[in-house]
Amino acid sequence: MKVPWKWLNEYVELDWTPEEACERLTLAGVKVEELTYEKVDLSGVVSALVEDVSPHPSRPDLRVGLLSTGTGRFTVVSGAPGLLKGNMVLLAVPGSRLPGGMAVETKSVAGVESQGMVVCSNEILAGAEHRPGEDIILLPAGIPLGLAAQEIIDLDDWVMDLDLTVNYSHCLSILGVALEASVLSGKPLKLPSLLEKWDWAGPWGSRRPEDDPEMPGEWKIELADPDLCPRYVGKLVRGVRQTYSPPEIERRLMLAGMRPISAIVDATNYVMLETGQPLHAFDADKLEGRVIWARRAKRGEAIETLDGEERPLDEGMLVIADAHGPVAVAGVMGGARTEVSGETRNILLESAFFAPIPTRRASRKLRLRTEAALRFEKTLDPTAQPVAIERAAGLISEYTGGVPEPARSDANVMEPVNKSILFSTRVIKRALGAPISAGRCREIFESLRFAPGPVTKVGEWETMEVTVPPRRVDIEEEIDLCEEIARHHGYHNFEPRLLSPATPGGPPSREYVWSDKLKDFLVSMGGREVVTTSLLSQEDLNAMGWDAGDARGTPVPLQDPLSSNESVLRTSLLPGLLRVVFRNQSVRMPGGFFWETGRVFYPSAEELPLEALQLGLAMYGNLREASWVEGSLEATFYRLKGVVEALLRLMGLEASFLPGASMPFHPGISARVVAGHSTVGEIGEVHPLVMRNLNLTGRCATGWLSIEAILAMAKEKRFTPVSRFMQVERDIAVAVDAGVLAGDVIKVVEETARDLASVRVFDVYDKPPVPEGKKSLALRLTYRPSDRTLTEEDLSTDRDRIIDALRARVGGEIRL
Amino acid sequence: MDYLGDISIAHAKGGRRGKAVIPSETMRDQIDDLQRRVSKEIEEAGTLAELDEVRIKYLGKKGELTNLLKAVGSLPKEERPEFGAKVNSLREAIETGLREKSGYLDRKALDEKVRREVADVTLPGNLPEIGSLHPITKALREIVQIFYGMGFTVYESREAETDEMNFVKLNLAPGHPARDAQDTLYLTDTTLLRTHTSPGQIRGMLEMEGRLPVRFIVPGRVYRRDPFDASHSPVFHQVEGLVIDRHITFEDLKGCFLEFARGFFGPDTQIRLRPSYFPFTEPSAEIDVSCTICRGRGCQVCSRTGWLELSGAGMVHPRVIRNGGYDPEEVTGFAFGFGLDRAAMLKWGIDDLRVLFENDLRFLTQFEGL
Repeated sequence: MKVPWKWLNEYVELDWTPEEACERLTLAGVKVEELTYEKVDLSGVVSALVEDVSPHPSRPDLRVGLLSTGTGRFTVVSGAPGLLKGNMVLLAVPGSRLPGGMAVETKSVAGVESQGMVVCSNEILAGAEHRPGEDIILLPAGIPLGLAAQEIIDLDDWVMDLDLTVNYSHCLSILGVALEASVLSGKPLKLPSLLEKWDWAGPWGSRRPEDDPEMPGEWKIELADPDLCPRYVGKLVRGVRQTYSPPEIERRLMLAGMRPISAIVDATNYVMLETGQPLHAFDADKLEGRVIWARRAKRGEAIETLDGEERPLDEGMLVIADAHGPVAVAGVMGGARTEVSGETRNILLESAFFAPIPTRRASRKLRLRTEAALRFEKTLDPTAQPVAIERAAGLISEYTGGVPEPARSDANVMEPVNKSILFSTRVIKRALGAPISAGRCREIFESLRFAPGPVTKVGEWETMEVTVPPRRVDIEEEIDLCEEIARHHGYHNFEPRLLSPATPGGPPSREYVWSDKLKDFLVSMGGREVVTTSLLSQEDLNAMGWDAGDARGTPVPLQDPLSSNESVLRTSLLPGLLRVVFRNQSVRMPGGFFWETGRVFYPSAEELPLEALQLGLAMYGNLREASWVEGSLEATFYRLKGVVEALLRLMGLEASFLPGASMPFHPGISARVVAGHSTVGEIGEVHPLVMRNLNLTGRCATGWLSIEAILAMAKEKRFTPVSRFMQVERDIAVAVDAGVLAGDVIKVVEETARDLASVRVFDVYDKPPVPEGKKSLALRLTYRPSDRTLTEEDLSTDRDRIIDALRARVGGEIRL
Repeated sequence: MDYLGDISIAHAKGGRRGKAVIPSETMRDQIDDLQRRVSKEIEEAGTLAELDEVRIKYLGKKGELTNLLKAVGSLPKEERPEFGAKVNSLREAIETGLREKSGYLDRKALDEKVRREVADVTLPGNLPEIGSLHPITKALREIVQIFYGMGFTVYESREAETDEMNFVKLNLAPGHPARDAQDTLYLTDTTLLRTHTSPGQIRGMLEMEGRLPVRFIVPGRVYRRDPFDASHSPVFHQVEGLVIDRHITFEDLKGCFLEFARGFFGPDTQIRLRPSYFPFTEPSAEIDVSCTICRGRGCQVCSRTGWLELSGAGMVHPRVIRNGGYDPEEVTGFAFGFGLDRAAMLKWGIDDLRVLFENDLRFLTQFEGL
């Protein structure tokens, strides 16, 4: 909300600078987002007396005036009705500048030289042509000649733009902000006399005895849906005429961010800005029938709103309707049919209380974020409707000469009450810590225009009954009063205190620590951690080519996604990681190794989806480019497998790799990672089809592991004594059928050899002299006996045993 | 260099003893001559091979000294001991001489080899692969450590939540206007993606089953129905903090957050609390930290205010305490929640939220190491 500084100071004379005011208000929760100085770009416009007027020689619609500014005389051609002898007007002399850069020069108007122009409000405020029926500005008599327009009309001002939280609906008005400023500054609040009556539930806040929903001989108000509109106040003003507001009022509205329209509409807006209560004016003669309904829209109903748009309505929306149909979307925007226009003679003013939730719904659905809607969707003061309507009726009467009916109709099912809350200094001590005396609390309550009762001592605490007016809809219980004390005491006045160190802090579980270590391991292996979105599109998942029936292809959908690109929850980290690969390939990075830990989601029979924590890996290209020392390190299946093997080893896990994982992996270059009899992950090269789907080039290896499974099986280290005996190495080369898995060969060796510490494949060869259809594996066996030194005989016995076992179990032949 | 120096002394000593038997002049001359020659040849040997030739020439099976020793046997009996001793000590002297010279040559050859081995130390080293943590993880780790030090632990809560946990239990009934501030991504009518880490307050408290003190942070992913731009993302990260105990006040909140802000942004960081509104805290506060870029003097980043909005906070609302299974008449508490991504951006001067999620290597590599 925008608060013009001079308007604010009309209600409380602050001795702060605007900057100080912003600081003080912000620190009290009335956050000022921005302070700007708003200036009208105007020069050379001065007061002038119309000394003489003569007809234009050729144009009957124009006249020629002789104007004096005290220091000069100017001949001006104009068609304005206000150009009458003896009137004081504003003259833009030749060389003047109007807003928007418009320059005023001497020019010929239908053959008569016009030295400048007499201006209307629209010209000096907006730099635009006069509006239909708009006359030139007429100044009160007695204004000195030649005075600059800025000296006469308040044009320039500071404007504070507030960013209010939803509980500060009491600050959605200049008066509300003025009250806060008054409390903070200790300066008295100066309310317009009419508004003095407001605040408390009672004759003004509630319905007056003389008010009746049925206006004598006029309209009857029907609250058809009192849950949506529990109060509707109407008032007739007869005999209005079309006119524009005084320039000062128009300027104020503009500073507050609203467009001046006409005196009647401006008055409703002005009062809304002043009091926070939105108002609407109907052309009473265009209303059909004599009943005003506040009811839900009917199915299929529509309304042409003031902005000229035809808008379909639904049954969740509240409308104001006459016998013919809707005349306004309640609290959002009025209808075109009953719009106030130049011909309007009688108006019906509306001042109502609309329920916040339906108003917000309607405003969002119709995409009409009007000032009224922005207020109604917060809970407003339930007592403000009568004062606001009287205030507006008074202003309209003043500007347009209309005559308000003395009575107003007031249909009301609300019974706003003054809230009585027991307040104890105990809550101050408990919640705030700082000692703030009961006397100081009482002072703050009084300045907020609450009514605190006498202070009573109860044990070590002091209590008082605090009565809060209904306008403070945000205050319901003692803790809310405590907040009022805290913010007016000033949050900056509380001392910081350190928590007692009595509690040891630290990680919640071993798994939490290990998952951090897992990340450290990956960093130490050259992996780059990435963070990708959990929201994907179905197409992202389809691109992975998951088989029909694969749970990863059927994600948890969002009910109302912002876009189809972010419409489902990820079932795997791989689409995100491959997108990272694409990103880096497209910016010509030669290669990378990426990993991410994060949650994936699956539909579940329970209310909430299943969440699982995964590690995802992806690598492509040159992980390290060739240097003068050594060749490049390529991202291959075996490189990725090495990382996974190392990771599992560091986590103390034993796992095996079974050939062949499903999509998106290459069927021949992929494996399932099995540990403890269950699949804990998959790794492999990306299937060429998926590579094509994703526009990836070269080769790319990827994989995932279940972090929960790994952490559950991870083992801490146990020490085994280091052998005092020498380790011995022996090599064996064995030829097997090409289809035999190296893993099976290794397994035979591991299960057969004695005192074996490790077996390592140091060569795989399938060219002559190795026979066609065979491959030769060169194995290095490292023996590490714990109790003796191995003799040649021991080793040769072992070798024979291994040879026999290889022949028997994998058809292996030793190559010499 | 005289490699046989000590032999000469032995010889002279022998002379001074002045024994009665005079050895044959021939023998004496031969010994002197051999001694002179071997000394010279050892000195002249320039390589280990040449030195070995000297050894064979004198000490080999048919070497000159070996022959000389044989010749001692042909001397008169009474002269044999003296000449025998002389020849033996000459032998020891030659061996010592050879060893020393060999040591010298060996060292010389090594020095020569070392002198020839020169690396261009300005050529790049053979770099191991270097990995990196994402800045969000780096920031979180620092944050977690600071809170460990203040007696906090970590509670990890779920990302898909019920409306009940995300809103209702936090005092945000259906239709509450504050729900608007958190445009929600719903999964079904009753389930959603958590819009803040605050439901972790309720789940964490319920798991504590009434034990005191409650002191944990809830880091994690949160979701909003926001389009992606420089400062918004439908997916981002928050860190929630919750303390419930007897005698917890607003002053504790202030002290705790100040400690965190100084630990994370630097010891001269200031904080500023402003009244704000969250349905789950009362009183509520917005916490600003002194601008990390201009240190509070005012710059573009902080809109010349010197302050950066970082966190929501407040005293836990009595209803929320009750929803967590605690008695608000017995305990009080404070809570706070801030954007982890924003904290990381402020710490490292990252000006666009999107780069955090693009994972461009040119970005990621900047977060190697410390």
